Amino acid sequence: MNPQGDFSRDTRHLQILLVLIVLVGVVALFIRSKMIPLSYGQLGAYRAEALNEIAAHPSKLQSDATCLQCHEDVQEERADSPHVAVHCMHCHGIGENHVAQARSAAKSQELVVSPAEEWDGDFATMIDLFITEDRATCLACHQKVVGMPDTFRKINVKEHLEEQEADDVGSANVCFECHSGHSPGL
Amino acid sequence: MTHELNIITNNPESETCQGNCCCSNPQEKECGSHESNSRREFLQTASTVILGSMSLTLLPMPVTNSTAGNADDAGDQEPGTATSEEKTSNNDGQVWFGFLVDIEKCIGAGKCLTACRIENNVPAGYARTWVERYVHLKDGSVRVDKVPEQGYAGSNLPDVDAELVERAYFVPKLCNHCSDAPCNQVCPVHASITSPEGVELVDPERCIGCAYCVQACPYGVRFINPETNNADKCTWCYHRIMRKEQPACVESCPVGARVFGRLDDPNSELNLRLAEVPTHVLKDQLGTNPKLRYVGLSGEVK
Repeated sequence: MNPQGDFSRDTRHLQILLVLIVLVGVVALFIRSKMIPLSYGQLGAYRAEALNEIAAHPSKLQSDATCLQCHEDVQEERADSPHVAVHCMHCHGIGENHVAQARSAAKSQELVVSPAEEWDGDFATMIDLFITEDRATCLACHQKVVGMPDTFRKINVKEHLEEQEADDVGSANVCFECHSGHSPGL
Repeated sequence: MTHELNIITNNPESETCQGNCCCSNPQEKECGSHESNSRREFLQTASTVILGSMSLTLLPMPVTNSTAGNADDAGDQEPGTATSEEKTSNNDGQVWFGFLVDIEKCIGAGKCLTACRIENNVPAGYARTWVERYVHLKDGSVRVDKVPEQGYAGSNLPDVDAELVERAYFVPKLCNHCSDAPCNQVCPVHASITSPEGVELVDPERCIGCAYCVQACPYGVRFINPETNNADKCTWCYHRIMRKEQPACVESCPVGARVFGRLDDPNSELNLRLAEVPTHVLKDQLGTNPKLRYVGLSGEVK
């Protein structure tokens, strides 16, 4: 048995083993770099870029401040009424398209903002913007329901109309005979 | 033979020493140590290489503390001076959001539900926020029902007979954005995120829709969105609050039953309200430390 021969053979095995280990390591590192997103770990154990992506979603709901840029008279009208806390969109819809139209109309004289009266009257469909003097608009909040806090102004519409001796009990816009939407005068 | 052996034993770099070869050499007294020396050297080199390459894999991923993550980005913020009540807020000047629901104010009109659905494209039949009505009847039983999206007032649904009712109230529910969120801990793909502001989010690109988080949430606020097949949940309208707008449900509440704000700002409306009234959280005993607090929370509400 030649010790020299055995020595070189074992060395060769070890070298192959080493090369294999290094190769596996390199392949693992390569796969890892492909699998892990670039921004992973910047802020924590997650893809930090996801925060920016979520934050970039557009805001659909318009705040009152947006509406009052053009309709400032409404703010004066409701300033002393409890309805100052009621947002425009509750009775008029979210107005995303309306605001987009108004903004482009402000830039171009040719564009016309479509009238809000085009609402089809069905609350389930909730088109973008509408003006309504339907009692449903009022009763969506003010119809007396079990569970409402004592401090809230709520009515049983039938009793209320009898108390107030309303002329046309069946009329859709019966509320607006006494109340205005912006300043209901409660 | 002797000549060869001398070569081997004189060579300190030799890696092997076969059999009793070195011991047959009278000059080599430390034959055992020689054999283990060369083996030890090899093992040292090999383990250095292996351990070194293993440690390389750790290099590209310095995971930092998520809450302290971008403290530098909030340099213009005043340092958080949280009151003792908000143990969940951190004090490193990081923006830290909180939410207050006033059960005594909620009228169950459902405006928040529609607003959330429109704002966040929530498919019909699913909800990121909902309102429950607790009705305590005079016979001692408690009836809980889910308020329809138009509110009971707008839905024309038959109502409970007011004569039988002892007391009743509405409880709006949404994500608690727990400081120790159980949903976050079970995500196998790190798609469940706690933002540096303390908001629990879902990374839609990473989420595989396994629904572990849906089952882990003790408040049941998560669901699998059938359109995206991702976990979906209330984000406190992260896209809105990051541009200093209010969440859609807060923006749409006509009676101010929902208050959103910064816990790290001592002058925020949220902190002023929290200082005024006693508040409580849902399922306190679970140790999730919710950042959603309730005014007027009854013990029956789960």
